[in-house]
Amino acid sequence: MRKSKKIAFPILVYFLAMLLLLTACSTKAGSGGPDGEGNTTVTMWHGLTSIDLDNMNKVVKAFEEKNPTIKMKLVYTESSEGSDQKLLTAVAGGNPPDVALFDRFKVGTWAAQGSLTDLSSMAAESGIRKEMYYPFAWEESSYQGKLYAIPMDTDSRLLFYNKDHFKEVGLDPNKPPQTIAELEAAADKLTIKEGKRFKRIGFIPWYSQGWLYTWGWAFGGEFQDAATGKITANDPKVVEALQWMTDFGQKYNVEDIAGFTSAAGTEEMDPFISGQVSMKISGNFTVKGIEKFKPDLNYGVAPIPTPTGADFTTWSGGGSAIIPKGAKNVAAAWKFLEFLGKEEGQTLLNADSQISVIDSVNDKYGYKDDPIMKEFINILPNSHNRPVIPEGQLLWNELASATEKATRGNGTPKENLDRVTETVNKALEKYDK
Amino acid sequence: MSPIAIKRINRALAYLCLIVASAFFITSFNWLLSTSLKPLTQIFTFPPEWIPSPILWSNYSRAVEYIPFWTYLKNTAIITIASTLGVIISCPLVAYSFAKLEYRGRGLLFFVTLAVMMIPGQVTMIPLFLLFTKLGWVGTALPLIVPQFFGVPIYIFLLRQFFMGLPDALREAARLDGASEFRIYLQIMFPLAKSAVLAVALFQFMGSWTDFMGPLLYLTNEPSYTVSLGLQQFQSQKGSEWGLLMAVSTLMTLPIIVLFFFLQKTFISGITFSGIKG
Amino acid sequence: MAKLADSVQVSAIPSARKRALHRTNVIGWLFASPWAIGLLCFYAIPMLMSIYFSFTTYSILQPGEFVGMNNYRDLFQDPLFWKSISNTIYFTVFFVPLSIFFGVALAMMLNMKVKGMAVFRTIFFLPTLVPQVALAVLWMWLLHPNFGLVNGMLAHIGIDGPSWLGGESWSKPSLILMSLWGIGQAVVIYLAGLGDIPDEYYEAAQIDGANWFQKTRKVTLPLLTPVIFYNLVMGMIGAFQQFTLPYTLTKGQGTPANSMTFYVMYLYENGFRYFKMGYASAMAWILFIIVMALTGIIFITSKRWVHYQGK
Repeated sequence: MRKSKKIAFPILVYFLAMLLLLTACSTKAGSGGPDGEGNTTVTMWHGLTSIDLDNMNKVVKAFEEKNPTIKMKLVYTESSEGSDQKLLTAVAGGNPPDVALFDRFKVGTWAAQGSLTDLSSMAAESGIRKEMYYPFAWEESSYQGKLYAIPMDTDSRLLFYNKDHFKEVGLDPNKPPQTIAELEAAADKLTIKEGKRFKRIGFIPWYSQGWLYTWGWAFGGEFQDAATGKITANDPKVVEALQWMTDFGQKYNVEDIAGFTSAAGTEEMDPFISGQVSMKISGNFTVKGIEKFKPDLNYGVAPIPTPTGADFTTWSGGGSAIIPKGAKNVAAAWKFLEFLGKEEGQTLLNADSQISVIDSVNDKYGYKDDPIMKEFINILPNSHNRPVIPEGQLLWNELASATEKATRGNGTPKENLDRVTETVNKALEKYDK
Repeated sequence: MSPIAIKRINRALAYLCLIVASAFFITSFNWLLSTSLKPLTQIFTFPPEWIPSPILWSNYSRAVEYIPFWTYLKNTAIITIASTLGVIISCPLVAYSFAKLEYRGRGLLFFVTLAVMMIPGQVTMIPLFLLFTKLGWVGTALPLIVPQFFGVPIYIFLLRQFFMGLPDALREAARLDGASEFRIYLQIMFPLAKSAVLAVALFQFMGSWTDFMGPLLYLTNEPSYTVSLGLQQFQSQKGSEWGLLMAVSTLMTLPIIVLFFFLQKTFISGITFSGIKG
Repeated sequence: MAKLADSVQVSAIPSARKRALHRTNVIGWLFASPWAIGLLCFYAIPMLMSIYFSFTTYSILQPGEFVGMNNYRDLFQDPLFWKSISNTIYFTVFFVPLSIFFGVALAMMLNMKVKGMAVFRTIFFLPTLVPQVALAVLWMWLLHPNFGLVNGMLAHIGIDGPSWLGGESWSKPSLILMSLWGIGQAVVIYLAGLGDIPDEYYEAAQIDGANWFQKTRKVTLPLLTPVIFYNLVMGMIGAFQQFTLPYTLTKGQGTPANSMTFYVMYLYENGFRYFKMGYASAMAWILFIIVMALTGIIFITSKRWVHYQGK
């Protein structure tokens, strides 16, 4: 018996030590709520840094001045593209933050899962109306007719072109291509090949923001049937767009140019900045990058060429603010969202940084007077947003996959897009209740 | 040729291979270091400049101000040391039981231990999170420390291999002297295992120090964040602050490098899988 | 290993012996108790929960409904599932043997008793310490078809380097190359195993007139087998779970053309981005079964080729 005691004792001590450790270390994170003085703390999760964070802090300050009983608590959480494990697990666990900043693209998916608070009635009461914003911003923030997010900022895509290169090969730097044919011709002239290696490529359709979405719309196609809500990835014009991309790839041999697109994983290694690519489709967010890494780059922007040289269009995404289901301080959280969605909040939020979702604010910033920025703003009224469906991410991945396969000769554009349409529509069926 | 000459040539060859290979391996750290001392515009130039000019020490001071670095460092240290302690206490104990003690169900338990290592973390992450939420531990560092006090499969496996190499003779002799199992473990076996435990401790230290997912999920208060979370803050939508990011990464890696450099001789030369000093 | 014979004979043994056996059982279990608890709470329960999820349409945000074997059935018809399996197997089959070969070779070189070994050893250990983010960017830069150092050096000797990360045929080999960088941890363990081999054996072989090659084959390798065994199992499990590096490199897209879509990456995508956690859980359990089977095979064959010195 003595022997067992001799072991049991140390083990017991061990477990006691554990218990002590547990109690000593337990510090509960404060979950804001009304405290004794009637003040409410609203917790907001965000992924903002540097200037965007500075701006948000200004917004918070102005908001708190107007609403002295509400205190905002900003918590930085991971912000890599599309990754929301923290928010996901918090909502699943039942203690989400009151507000979270969120890619607008995901609103449809999360709303379909019932994880977002319906803002429609609160918006109506506070005077937040659809007409205040660019149409696509409101569209992307709504699902099945209800508002689930307040749009915060947005972007758009245009053709970037290197003016010095244009001059070099005898193209007019003030007359960028407007039709697809002109685009191809310019790309041809701008390309310099040395043996098997490309020293410079004029244009790569799928590089940077050259997603199939971009070209599908440029060619006049539609990705979703407005009436039925079904996905139409195999719309004849979209197929045409993908066919064009594939032909382009074959002309220049995809494997050879794949090198340019794959390695450019980060902004700084962008071949457009280093002069290896003369033209690209990209968004206004690139402008800041160019300013940082190569401020003396002589470039211009123009609407994305279309087959006809008219009906220019683009597509936009952006950030938004949402109130997760299960948030504790919904009323106070809404007050903040309301502030973000109205002119004063918008002005403070996007200064020197982003494009606002309210046209008059962009006006105030003087974007319309800047030769580069004004192009991004002017195209906004004609901008599309990606279909708001519960399987937005699936559709995005499938389109990207189909584009890669088709351009590498792995199935025809029509075959690939037919498959995408079938896959996504099938996945959507389970949401029809 | 004389055997000594052959030996010398072999050694020289091996030495040469080592130098070539290490040049290759050290590239990563070189790049980290040199990038941390450059302004943004110079980082991605070709051909690469290994020695920056001018040397931008300010990247380091700015990095440390960009985020509350010292607070994060302190938090990381606390969590790492605590979890390492947990591993040192629990894993050798259990591993020893797998290697030398006999009890019903030992084989099954060991088998389950191995099995458990095969499930990708992504899948148990959610149930585990739900579990910790029910316990009320989310928002604290407890989920990052407490499980280590109950054993970690990989280390248990490693230590078990090690203990299996210790001669049974030692144990039998001690039992004849009337020592209890626990005393045998504590006073004979554990000391013999010092180096292996040190190795395991180092691995846990490294793992905990660089852990990102854990702190991301369970820490909800900025003042309690760890350095690996802080690293994320250098990456924004508009392009990362590479110079600052590398500076913080370097600062973060330095302690472990130093630790390893000084400890490696001790535990490598001491670890035996046979218990017989070579 | 547990001696089942003992438990069978228990009833035929006089009570004193029974009590002794009982005591050894209790003692054994007491030693193992922390882990028994830990295993149950932090591993078994979550694992059981995930098995349950695999039979439902659990989406994390919603409990979903019970669908029996549907997830598993759908998986077998999912072409991307099969692609991810083949990608993962490709990686494992090439990476694991290479890592053992280079790991042992490196360890043997690092085992020389010359000055400055500490420095060398630390150098080889370094890549395992650098944050994944930095590593991913570094490699993207090194493997850049036009600017990268690798192609630059190849060009010097007249070889036209491929577009490493951009081509379907070269993307996985690039990943294998990157992953080999991380063998520092395994090398540490090999070094420990090497230091373990008593000098007497080498001296005896020397006296018998063995050269370096014979010494390695007859002394070093056999006595290193416990360590190789460990690293083989761990290496295989790790290779099958390959996630962070390809995910960071391809931003989760598995480009080009899904050649970098690894099993756990696809699992992650399904669970966290498509909200099909039930589907992902099914994937996890299929992986589990595969890896278990392979490990079982390694274990069974280990009796033939692993020599423990202590027994």
